[in-house]
Amino acid sequence: MTDIRQVIASKLYQGEKEDVAQLVQQALDQGMGPGEILSDTLMPGMDQVGQDFKAGELFVPEVLMAAQAMKAGLSVLRPLLTESDAMYVGTCVIGTVEGDLHDIGKNLVGMMLEGASFEVVDLGAGVNPGAFVDAVRERHPKLVGMSALLTTTMVNMKATIDALEEAGLRDTVKVMVGGAPVTEVFAQQIGADGYASDAASAVEIARSLIA
Amino acid sequence: MITQSNYMEYRTPQFRRLSDDQLEHIHHASLEILDRTGVCLYDQEALDLMKKAGVKVFEGNQVRIPPGLVEWALSIAPKHITICDRNGRRVMPLERNNVFFGPGSDCLWVLDHRTGERRRGTLDYIEQGIRVCDALPNIDFLMSLCIASEVEDQKVADRYQMRAMLMNSTKPILFVTPELEGCKDAVEMSEIVAGGAEELRRDPSSVCYINIVHPLRHNKESLQRLLYMAEKGLPSIYCMVVSGGATGPVTAAGGMALANAGELVGVVLAQLKREGAPVILSGGYAHAFGMLAHGGTGGRPRLQGARPEMAHYYDLPAFGLGGATGAKVVDQQAGAQAAFSLLIEALSGANIVHDIGYTGRADCYSLELLVICDELIEFVRRFMGGVEINEETLALDVIDEVGPHGHYLDHEHTMKHYREEWYPELFDAHDEYEDWVAEGSRTMGERAAERVDEILAEHQPEPLPPDVQKRLDEVVRRATG
Repeated sequence: MTDIRQVIASKLYQGEKEDVAQLVQQALDQGMGPGEILSDTLMPGMDQVGQDFKAGELFVPEVLMAAQAMKAGLSVLRPLLTESDAMYVGTCVIGTVEGDLHDIGKNLVGMMLEGASFEVVDLGAGVNPGAFVDAVRERHPKLVGMSALLTTTMVNMKATIDALEEAGLRDTVKVMVGGAPVTEVFAQQIGADGYASDAASAVEIARSLIA
Repeated sequence: MITQSNYMEYRTPQFRRLSDDQLEHIHHASLEILDRTGVCLYDQEALDLMKKAGVKVFEGNQVRIPPGLVEWALSIAPKHITICDRNGRRVMPLERNNVFFGPGSDCLWVLDHRTGERRRGTLDYIEQGIRVCDALPNIDFLMSLCIASEVEDQKVADRYQMRAMLMNSTKPILFVTPELEGCKDAVEMSEIVAGGAEELRRDPSSVCYINIVHPLRHNKESLQRLLYMAEKGLPSIYCMVVSGGATGPVTAAGGMALANAGELVGVVLAQLKREGAPVILSGGYAHAFGMLAHGGTGGRPRLQGARPEMAHYYDLPAFGLGGATGAKVVDQQAGAQAAFSLLIEALSGANIVHDIGYTGRADCYSLELLVICDELIEFVRRFMGGVEINEETLALDVIDEVGPHGHYLDHEHTMKHYREEWYPELFDAHDEYEDWVAEGSRTMGERAAERVDEILAEHQPEPLPPDVQKRLDEVVRRATG
């Protein structure tokens, strides 16, 4: 008989959310612990998805279907997970910065982070520095992710970092940035902690920043 | 489903170079050339067939062909020819504007895709190249690519080339033989593979490509091959080459009318030999002789796209030329000329687009260019595919559901249809400059050369049964003597 862990991982990879939810329940019924299911099946499955996306073998819609399947599996586990099972690896506040309404890239990163077991607080697009500060104050995230598509709006990333500084919250979070005109060098110049060029690398960077 | 009326849709782009009036104009010019000037036929059987049809022979071998005879021949030449693969599958219906693509034949030289070096064509290169053709999804038929120069008796090199094509791919073959005996052997080899003469006639998998260098002087070897194929009921391509300013007028229209006249001679003779004999026309090749600069194969924009329309005017299958370049290496010029010509030939509905992978003076073959063209054809095919407009593709319900604030990234509708889009394999599809650098900063040419090696390492064509191979070997051995 095929190991249920492999079946869950493969259904997750295929983005079959109903199957994943059902199989996770089945695994619980068979006596597997919720933490074990999360760490041995769902998370490695999503890691594979991320790797294959980076390698050009999977396309965006497939990755998102897998992320949704991950969420479906998590929703079965969530009531059963204890604090020590680390249901979420961390909270991440994300948004497209002030003056910029381009949100597709940011949405993609949000869904990928959710798939990688982050709790994502999406502030939307055109988010001003004050709104980022308020969210950090209320939600205590480990990470703040900012996106911009325009050279004219990417300066607002720096404004947001400055606002976090002024509010005395800068040291409580790691800041990562991304978007077409953004580069590694720019990220360093404005004092961000990380830069990612695409949604799959964003997950890697996010993990390394909170490690 | 809402009932509609008077709704028309385009399944392909609409393209014309010449109007009906212009095509008729050239047709009449060709009739006038044949009726007034006439042509020389250097073959007794061809002259006898003309005499039998009431045509007077003068100056020993010259005939003036009356328009009525041409119109008769055009009226009975088959408008529908289906070319089959080695297994008898009817893969190339040459009708209307169906477009098929393939390489060229008999280059003296080849460009080595690994070293970039230009060297003589060899049998080994043909075998490998045909395997590449077999693997490429957008290559529909085969030609020999280059000459097997290591064959000591060059008069029988065509047999080796034919065997190499039959052994290394199942795709249909356009063969070229310098003489009648080679043509007979090529047909015999095709019959062996098809399982008999009647089987090959019913499901023809080989076409004889006959190239005439002067439209008013038809040489013996060409006429003999045309009449042999006609007698067998097998298809041939009867194609003129006019060098504008040398063997015909330098002006495009005159060159085309002259070349077309020569091709009509082929239609008449084939029908006189056997009514209903299948003949494929090019519509009249006329390129500019090197008065200033040749411009290379396919380098004369004025006639591109017009020739297939001439053949279609007769409702006969049209032979075309694309995916070739005058460049000496696979460079920017090669990419541009290949892309333009493939697109134009497809737009004009040429049924058999050959010479893909030709470089230089149409004398040097490149597998690298062939692989690049396979990708270009994918683009062309998708461009030709039209735009589907219906409830599913308009997706108004999805648009309403997503609204101004949502997105379509993980919508079922996206998942269902995104694969219908084209994702290039050779074109650079990296989003990020850094990703491209990380993968070696390779140009398209370098990626194409690697693709050739990948195919050679991975792709094994369907083999012929051992007894069939043995019988092919016997034909080659018999010719070699």
